[in-house]
Amino acid sequence: MSEPTPVIEIKGLTYAYGRGEAVHDFNLTVQPGRCYGLFGRNGAGKTTTMKCLLNLLRPRGGSVRVFGFDPAKHELEVKRRLAYVPDYVAFYPWMTVQETLDYLASFRSHWNRETEGHLLNRFRLDPAQRTGALSKGQKTQVALIAAICPEPELLLLDEPTSGLDPIVRREFIETVIGAYQEGDPAKRTILVSTHLISEFEGLIDEFTIMDRGRDVLSLGADQARERYQKIRARFSQEVPSIEFKDALHVRRNGRELELIANGGGAQIMEQLRSLGPESLTSEALTLEEVFVAALK
Amino acid sequence: MLRTGMSALRLQPPATNSALQKNLKYSIDSSSHLSYCPMTVTDAMLLQINFKAGKPVYLQVVDQIKAAAASGTLQAGEPLPSIRPLAEELRVNRNTIAKAYTELESQGVIETIPGKGCFLKANNSPLKKDVRRKLLIDEIDEAVVMAHHLQVPRGEFLEVVRDRLDTMAEKKRANDDHKPD
Repeated sequence: MSEPTPVIEIKGLTYAYGRGEAVHDFNLTVQPGRCYGLFGRNGAGKTTTMKCLLNLLRPRGGSVRVFGFDPAKHELEVKRRLAYVPDYVAFYPWMTVQETLDYLASFRSHWNRETEGHLLNRFRLDPAQRTGALSKGQKTQVALIAAICPEPELLLLDEPTSGLDPIVRREFIETVIGAYQEGDPAKRTILVSTHLISEFEGLIDEFTIMDRGRDVLSLGADQARERYQKIRARFSQEVPSIEFKDALHVRRNGRELELIANGGGAQIMEQLRSLGPESLTSEALTLEEVFVAALK
Repeated sequence: MLRTGMSALRLQPPATNSALQKNLKYSIDSSSHLSYCPMTVTDAMLLQINFKAGKPVYLQVVDQIKAAAASGTLQAGEPLPSIRPLAEELRVNRNTIAKAYTELESQGVIETIPGKGCFLKANNSPLKKDVRRKLLIDEIDEAVVMAHHLQVPRGEFLEVVRDRLDTMAEKKRANDDHKPD
């Protein structure tokens, strides 16, 4: 059986605003059915990358493929199969919530009214309220409803939960899992860019860390948590001076030692155990900690 | 969809609770943090995912359900929570839960009845004893390591264990006496 076409395939993407290069030789491949995280600090180039996928920006170099198509040449084919929730949501303020959803539905060949009703209920949104009077959280909720009801094959979420309160953020993620992921798993792909990594920890199964326009690290979430381990040891005497292969951020403080293993955690544990420590522990890094460790 | 009052079945996670606490079996939890969720979740199992365990998330689900089966928290023929509410509840990817259930099915722990959901299989006894033992060993190992760090000698350690067993047994007796049934 041949490999399925990646939902997103970015190769050597370069984009610049004037002279400032925002994305440089960036690569990303997202397979169908994945929930893919794009992690980066503010200004790392996440939004620029998203906009290149949507043909809102024209790449200066490299190639971008969505469902195997170039979004610049096949914009319609690409856009009818995806939905996008931007970090800043704007609607026509004079329209009501229902009018806004009807308006957005008119652009779509398919719209699940039942899901729309469930989600309006769930978010306790009043369909008769004008969108101009909605809070930031409520606007994001309307945008999420508008993104999920067409049941698109690809959901692009750009910093969707930043600036929202914790309850709204939780509901947002539960909705993505519950309402969006309902259906054929091969036709439910998510690309989410965020720096609020811990909230998406359980949802994300693969990720790329982006820094200053480049891809720094791409890994499966489970593999990352297996590979990066925080190891701590306490000795009865001063910490012996030893070298560790594959260790990041070795910190010594008198009798204590803390380090982050980048693979080879078992060997380092063995190495430390042979020195007879008073205590020796290891734990996996969360994705947020992996992110911090990768960028330090 | 109707909002229904929710009750959740609390499963003691094996990693953080002593084996004896499992005597508590079910405790009904109607904690308020769930109340904003309008999905019709009945009997969602409260599993615990620990991202710092360094163990794939789906395997954590597999092991916790096996542990629940071994400890009797989950009885043969009882339904497992369906994938969507459980994934929402744990805020993990649906595919992760689906993968865990597929794994449990291939190990013969659960069976899927089309249109009805997943159920704990009646004859899952071969793994029961092993799993039980394994759980206990993990907990005991931790205590043994702690005893070593605190420089508690073997004899004293064993004495403490006996002492705790007696105390727990006494507590349980006192508890049973107070129950009207």
